[in-house]
Amino acid sequence: MSFLMEHLPILLVAIPLLMAPIMILTRSYPGLQKVLNLVASVGLLALSGLLLSSVWNGGITVYEVGEFGKYGIVLVADLLSASMVGLNCLIGCMGLIYSYDYIESKSLNLTYHSLYNLMLAGINGIFLTGDIFNLFVFFEIMLLSSGALIVANETSSVTKISDKMEATMKYIVLNMLGSNVMLIAVASLYASIGSLNMADIAIKVQILADAGTMPWHMYAIGLLFIIVFGGKAAVFPLHYWLPDVHPTAPSPISAMLSGVIIKIGAYGILRVLFVIFAPLQAVFGPIILMLALITIGLGATSAIGQNDVKRLLAYSSVSQIGYVFMGFGMGAIAYSSGEVTGAVLIIAASFVYLVNHALAKSMLFLTSGGIIHHAGTRDMRKMGGMINSDPAMCVAFLVGAMSIGGVPPMGGFIAKFSLFDAGLRYAFYIPIAIALLFAVFTLFYMFRGWMLMFWGERDPQYGEYSHHKSSLLMVGPIFLLAALVLIFGIFAEPLLEISQTIAAQVIDPQPYIDAVLVRVIR
Amino acid sequence: MNNVMLSLTISLLFGIGTFLILRREMMKVIIGFGIVSHAINLYIVASGAFSNGTLVPILEHHQAVVGLGQGLIVADDVAAGVIGPITSEPYLEFADPLVQALVLTAIVIGLATTAFILTLAYRIYEEYGTTDVQELRRLWG
Repeated sequence: MSFLMEHLPILLVAIPLLMAPIMILTRSYPGLQKVLNLVASVGLLALSGLLLSSVWNGGITVYEVGEFGKYGIVLVADLLSASMVGLNCLIGCMGLIYSYDYIESKSLNLTYHSLYNLMLAGINGIFLTGDIFNLFVFFEIMLLSSGALIVANETSSVTKISDKMEATMKYIVLNMLGSNVMLIAVASLYASIGSLNMADIAIKVQILADAGTMPWHMYAIGLLFIIVFGGKAAVFPLHYWLPDVHPTAPSPISAMLSGVIIKIGAYGILRVLFVIFAPLQAVFGPIILMLALITIGLGATSAIGQNDVKRLLAYSSVSQIGYVFMGFGMGAIAYSSGEVTGAVLIIAASFVYLVNHALAKSMLFLTSGGIIHHAGTRDMRKMGGMINSDPAMCVAFLVGAMSIGGVPPMGGFIAKFSLFDAGLRYAFYIPIAIALLFAVFTLFYMFRGWMLMFWGERDPQYGEYSHHKSSLLMVGPIFLLAALVLIFGIFAEPLLEISQTIAAQVIDPQPYIDAVLVRVIR
Repeated sequence: MNNVMLSLTISLLFGIGTFLILRREMMKVIIGFGIVSHAINLYIVASGAFSNGTLVPILEHHQAVVGLGQGLIVADDVAAGVIGPITSEPYLEFADPLVQALVLTAIVIGLATTAFILTLAYRIYEEYGTTDVQELRRLWG
């Protein structure tokens, strides 16, 4: 047990990394493969829960991978990392169970399992690493494995393989561009600061800012990081790949992409811009806020006209990530104008928004997979009346739509309420007004989709619905996530409390820096 | 003189790579990515080379650079302008070995992404019968 606790951060990366080759070796035994991967995935979920509770009770955990003191790579599990890892393991586990029925068995045996594990390892590594070059390496692991997963075959082949190729090409090319920009930014940061350890960089940037000798190119490096993480999170000028890639991916992968992978951008902004470039917030805050507001408007207005259910959800993701970034922008502005408690409140609200959106949107993408399975098409105009033929999906989609739209008993209401409340308290009237306007749009397009699919009658020319109902493997994860969406709406205090602590740590990174740098060197 | 040549080479490579990435031909885009990633590798290596720094900073056991203890090789002395590898007067003879490790990692990652994207390009050629990226417009929006 003490061994487990001591090596907890590395286990969260190493177990999925080890499972990847094991899955290739056991490809001739599909049953064994499924059981092994399920056990590993549930184990990973348990470990991430353990990590979260140990960080919550015992403070920040630092794990040295090499024995090089501050020059080695460290894994740092603070509350932000631990909760993001928990979110990833939860959605990853649900997506895996779902894909046992949803993904075509040949594709599943051969590559799907190992690539899925690699993706989980990459994402966990991104959240846990304390070294900025290591962050780039994990970005690449995540990028390649998720890119290869987009082309996995589904049992009901609604999406053509050529579409998937095209979408993957877009995804890989744009993200390679992002990786190159990130490498330039990391190299410039190393050249001017001389460290790759994020805590160390944070101290030195603070020293430079206090001494008034901040080189001008630090601003350029910060902007490059905004491009990198904005591209990952699909914020306005770099959002156009998302509505092509997320709908063409198989539904469990769409759930991972929309639920976790676009949140990596938000995590990166929190970690890099708020911890490392804290003294430069006055410049970056307004930029992030403006881009976020454009993203909100663009995503919401584009979602209204969509007739493809997954494309609707993808545009909704663009719009919703804008709300999270709006919180970051407002927080940065409040922080740079001296309102530290205000910044904590706003960042906490946007973290609540991030978690609730991740749960609701991954649940909705899984539900859309069930709907496509049942209807045999992705076009909502060719559906209708499914409330009778598939009531389970109807309920699940309603829960998700209510959460994304911000209707009271669901988690999305708490998220929107706390974000708007925090914003209004510190006089961000115009951003909140724009956000409120597009929140009405959100409600409209989610319920338009729901009514098109579940109410009315299906036009007979599109044929009968398939009698193949969604199996328990598909309905189970959907309902578990739906229950969580409901629980975070009714019983929201624990999440709000954790978010407050996370925001306080993000705004004042001193505990993080102390935990990383003030250690006994072995 | 050397520094000028190095900077010019890096900028030229960036320029050629960017030009190729903006072409319509898929193969040219991929080659452009290769060239840009090599430009970045040169850039990283350049950030660790100081004027006339040729020595590798390998010290004997428990030997430390002047005035520093605690078993660390280099500690920062901000007052004297020493921040990590940006060394000032007494330490100029060292070259930074870390950037070379970074470049090795970046090269390996570049190999993996290039292999993946080449496979993808070949499959797209099989599906669409063209390598012109402007012809890939089955996804609208």
